Amino acid sequence: MHIAYHLIVFYIVCHLIWYLFREKKFWNQVCAALVLIMFLLRVFLIK
Amino acid sequence: MKNIKNKFISSLLVLFILVICFLSALKFLSMQKKEAVFPSEDLTSKKMLSAYLQSLKNTWGDTEIYIYEGQEKGGNLLITGGAHPNEPAGFITSVLLVENIQVTKGKIIIVPRANNSGFTHSDPQEGNPQRFSFETSTGRRQFRYGSRLTNPVHQWPDPTLYINPAGQKLSGTESRNLNRCYPGRKNGRLTEKVAYGIMELIKKEKIDLAIDLHESAPEYPVINAIVFHENSEELAALALMDLQLEGFEFSLEFSPKNLRGLSHREWGDHAHIMPILLESANASHGRLKGKTSPALIVEGKDKNYAKAAKLGRLFVPYGEEGVPLKLRVARHLAAVKSILSSLEELHPEKRIEIKNMPSSSKVRNTGIGPFLNPPN
Repeated sequence: MHIAYHLIVFYIVCHLIWYLFREKKFWNQVCAALVLIMFLLRVFLIK
Repeated sequence: MKNIKNKFISSLLVLFILVICFLSALKFLSMQKKEAVFPSEDLTSKKMLSAYLQSLKNTWGDTEIYIYEGQEKGGNLLITGGAHPNEPAGFITSVLLVENIQVTKGKIIIVPRANNSGFTHSDPQEGNPQRFSFETSTGRRQFRYGSRLTNPVHQWPDPTLYINPAGQKLSGTESRNLNRCYPGRKNGRLTEKVAYGIMELIKKEKIDLAIDLHESAPEYPVINAIVFHENSEELAALALMDLQLEGFEFSLEFSPKNLRGLSHREWGDHAHIMPILLESANASHGRLKGKTSPALIVEGKDKNYAKAAKLGRLFVPYGEEGVPLKLRVARHLAAVKSILSSLEELHPEKRIEIKNMPSSSKVRNTGIGPFLNPPN
């Protein structure tokens, strides 16, 4: 179950990073970065 | 050129969030650090709960057990605190006992952090402080304010509907509530294993009487209470009279036979001992509280609760002066003392003698700090 959880969160993290580099508007990049913080902490199961 | 600038900004943002993640992770991981406990010189031995259930070893459910054994044989008492780590009076009372007592007759086993995993995180969306502290003669000592439930990182996922080992249907999150998981399951979830480990401790150490220290929100009806199993009915009634003579108001609450999975029910039914659960009034985990802060935990002052008391919405007196932690701990200490003197009266062969037990009146007057051993 933990592996499935990790894979799902990691998949979202990859998407966010990809979106961050592809996005042209600065504030959209900032928004993606803020969301990324929570998902990165989740990847490492830090609560 | 624009593309390069865009990638540069993205890289900077990634670097920035990595720094934020690192700092946040340090803060979160600091919650896993246990505060030091400095046992009294008369500690006989210290074990881990995994000594009673091997599969708890190297898990977050494993926890310290402090054993005090007198020269003479007598009764065997278990005291558990921290089953709910957001109820600090139970945890702090256990720590005070560990750091002060000397047992001359009988045996006392103390588990200050019964749900060790619950101490490693805080309840989401509650804005609870991570720690509260007391001043001692050589500096401040800090203690964790944890969550009622086991850390979901250590036990996940929650079932939609939880049927506990005693057969009671509960909401899924209750699978992480130690005081709903008794008598536990040997190969169950982490919290069930902790409950099973405590049951094994009770059986192997031939415990006669067990006291589970808790707190409840001032708007909850079972408060300032002695909750008893039918095995401990006489003991609780006698202790209540003693406490009333000392000026402490308690109510007697019978452990309902159809409310399963709780310590005061399952310890009696499955290990045939005399279980008692004590409750005091803790504003910091109530629903009516204002901002939760270390001051609210220690001082217990809350305008909302004072107003609710004036409106007759609470089950305990709650004035502007609040219900400080030193008073809640003093109540627990007074109750433990009264229960032990009642045990002696009802079962003289199971008498337990303690020296240096912190006096409830002194704790009430001088606070908790003077009874905590200074850091080495």
